[in-house]
Amino acid sequence: MDYFLMLISAIFVNNILLAQYLGNCPFLGCSKEKGVAFGMGAAVIFVAVMATAFTWIMQKWVLEPYGLGYLQTLVFILVIAALVQFVEMFLKKMVPPLYKALGIFLPLITTNCAVLGIAILVQRKEFGLGMSLYYSFVASLGFTLALMLMAGIRERLVIARLPKSLQGTSIGLVMAGLMSLTFFAFKGMIE
Amino acid sequence: MSIVKEFTKGLWKEIPPFRLVLGLCPTLAVTKTASDGMGMGAAVIFVLVLSNVIISLVRKIIPKKVRIACFIVIAASLVVSVELLMQAYAYPLYQSLGIFVPLIVVNCIILGRAEAFAAKNPVLMSAADGLGMGIGFTLSLTFLGALREIFGYGKLFGSAVFGPAFKPFTFMVEAPGAFVCLGLILAAMNYLAIWQSKRAGLPEPAIAASCGGCRACAIGESKQIVEG
Amino acid sequence: MRELINMIVVLSLISGASGLSLAYLKDMTAKPIEDQVLFYVQGPALKAVFPDAENDPLADRKKFDTADGAVTVFPVKKGGKLTAVALEAFGPGYGGDIGVIVGIDVAKNTLAGIGVTTLKETPGLGMRVTEAKYQKQFKGLALDKVGLSGKGGTVDAVSGATISSTGTVTAANKAIEIYKSLKPKLEGAF
Repeated sequence: MDYFLMLISAIFVNNILLAQYLGNCPFLGCSKEKGVAFGMGAAVIFVAVMATAFTWIMQKWVLEPYGLGYLQTLVFILVIAALVQFVEMFLKKMVPPLYKALGIFLPLITTNCAVLGIAILVQRKEFGLGMSLYYSFVASLGFTLALMLMAGIRERLVIARLPKSLQGTSIGLVMAGLMSLTFFAFKGMIE
Repeated sequence: MSIVKEFTKGLWKEIPPFRLVLGLCPTLAVTKTASDGMGMGAAVIFVLVLSNVIISLVRKIIPKKVRIACFIVIAASLVVSVELLMQAYAYPLYQSLGIFVPLIVVNCIILGRAEAFAAKNPVLMSAADGLGMGIGFTLSLTFLGALREIFGYGKLFGSAVFGPAFKPFTFMVEAPGAFVCLGLILAAMNYLAIWQSKRAGLPEPAIAASCGGCRACAIGESKQIVEG
Repeated sequence: MRELINMIVVLSLISGASGLSLAYLKDMTAKPIEDQVLFYVQGPALKAVFPDAENDPLADRKKFDTADGAVTVFPVKKGGKLTAVALEAFGPGYGGDIGVIVGIDVAKNTLAGIGVTTLKETPGLGMRVTEAKYQKQFKGLALDKVGLSGKGGTVDAVSGATISSTGTVTAANKAIEIYKSLKPKLEGAF
C-alpha cells in the first residue's frame, strides 16, 4: 500500500482509538491535561514501535518456524511487559531527562491494549517488518492526536456547568463519540 | 463478608463496566449485536473465574516482587486456552470477535480483580467474586449490544423486532454510536445511584471513576483500585 | 539470594505448568479446529462450486503428498461415482495471499468452477473477484487454457482489480498443476 495513503488511513480514517476502539483506558484516564496527554502519547509511540519490532521478530523467527503460533498472545504480552521494564530501567540510568518526561507513563503501558493490539494487528495483516514499524508509528501517532484533542476539549469542559450525573467519564465518552463522528468525515478520502 | 455478597456485588453495586469503569475497549468494540456481546462476556467469565481461582490457590507461594508477572502468565495462558476452544467449538464467534479475543489479556478486569481480590482471599470467595463480576460484565455487554442491535439493525439476537417500515439507525452500529451510548448509560447509572442514596438519606456517592484500576494494576498499587 | 532463587523457581514452575497444559490443549483441539475451519472457510466455497454434490466433500476429504507438501483433496460424487475433485491453492493478491477452491471435472478434464476462500483485499475493487459474474467465466474452461484475456486466455479481469484477478488465475493454475500430478493416484483413492 502507498505509504502516504496508509498515513492518512491510520491517523484519520481508521484511527486506532476512535474507529478501532483500542486504548480507551488511557484515553479517558490521561486526557485531563494537555501536558499529561502529550507525555502519554509520546510514551505510547515509543513503546508501540519497539514492541512491534520485538514481537515481529519473535513471531517470524521463533513462533512460526517451531509451529508455536497458538502461543502468540502469551509470548507477545510477556515480551511487552519485559520490554517496558527494560526501557524504564534503561531510561532511568542513561537518559534521565527523557525518563523524567515519560517515566510515570511507562508502567501504565503494559496493560494498554493499543500496544498489544498494534502488535497483533500487523501480524494479522501480514505486513513485512518495515511496513509493520511504519504502521505502528502512524497508528500511535493517530492515538496521540486523538488524546491531545480530547485533552484540549476536556480542559474547557471543566468550566462547563454539567448535571452531576454527566460529569467525568460519562461526558468524556459522549465527547469521544462526537470526535469519532468528525473523523468519520475522512472516510471518503480512502475508498 | 459472605460468598453471596461477593457474588452479588458484581451484578449491580460494582457492575463492570457501568459502575466500575473497567475494560472499556471490548465493551465498545464487540457490542454491535447482542450475541457478540454475550459471546465476549462468556469468554471473560471463563478467564476471570479460572484466573481468580488459580491465583487464589497459589497466592501464598508467589513472591511479592514477581506477582504481576505471574498474574500475566496465568491470565495469558487462560486467554490462549479460550482462543483454542473458541476456534474449535465456536468458529463464527471467533471470527466476529477478531482481535478482541487475544486482547482479553489486557482487559483491566482480569488483572484488576487478580490484584484487588484473588491475591488476598480464599478460593471460594475468589471464585464467587470472579463469577459475579464476569456475569455483570456479560449482562452489561449484552444490554449495550441489544440496544445497538435494536436501533442499528432493527433486530434482536438476529430476528427482526420492528415491521418492514423501520429504517435502521446506522449511527448506532458505527464507532460514534458506541461511545455516545456507553456515555449515556454511565450517566444514567450515576443518576440512579445519586437518586438511590438521596432517598436513603445518605451522602451523595462518588460518580463512576474513570478506569483507575488499569493504572493501579500495572503499577501494583493495590490500594488505588476502586473497591466499592 | 534465597528470595531471588524463590522468585525464579516460582516463575519457571508457573510458566512450565502453563506451557504443558497449553500444549496438551493444543493437541486436543487440533482436530476440531481443522474441522471448523474447513466447515466455515472452505465449506461455503465448495457449496457454491458444486451445489448438487450427493456426498459431503468435506467429510470425504483425503490428504495426498506432493512435491511441495501435503494437499487436501475434496471429492465430489454423483450416484456413487467420482465426478469431480476440488482443491485449494493460493495466489498472490494485493493485501496478502488469495485462497481459491478450484473444482475440476474428472471425466471432461475441464474446470467445474472456482470459489474464493480467503481474501485480504481492499473493500470495494479487489473484493469483486468474489462476485459470481467474474467466477462464472472459469466454468467449463479446458485445463490448459486458463488465463486472463490479455495474456492468451479468455477470463476478463475485474476492471480496476488486475492484481486480484491475476492472483485468482495463478491460484487456479497452481491447483491444475497439482491435480495433473496427482491424477493417477486420485482415481483409485475415492
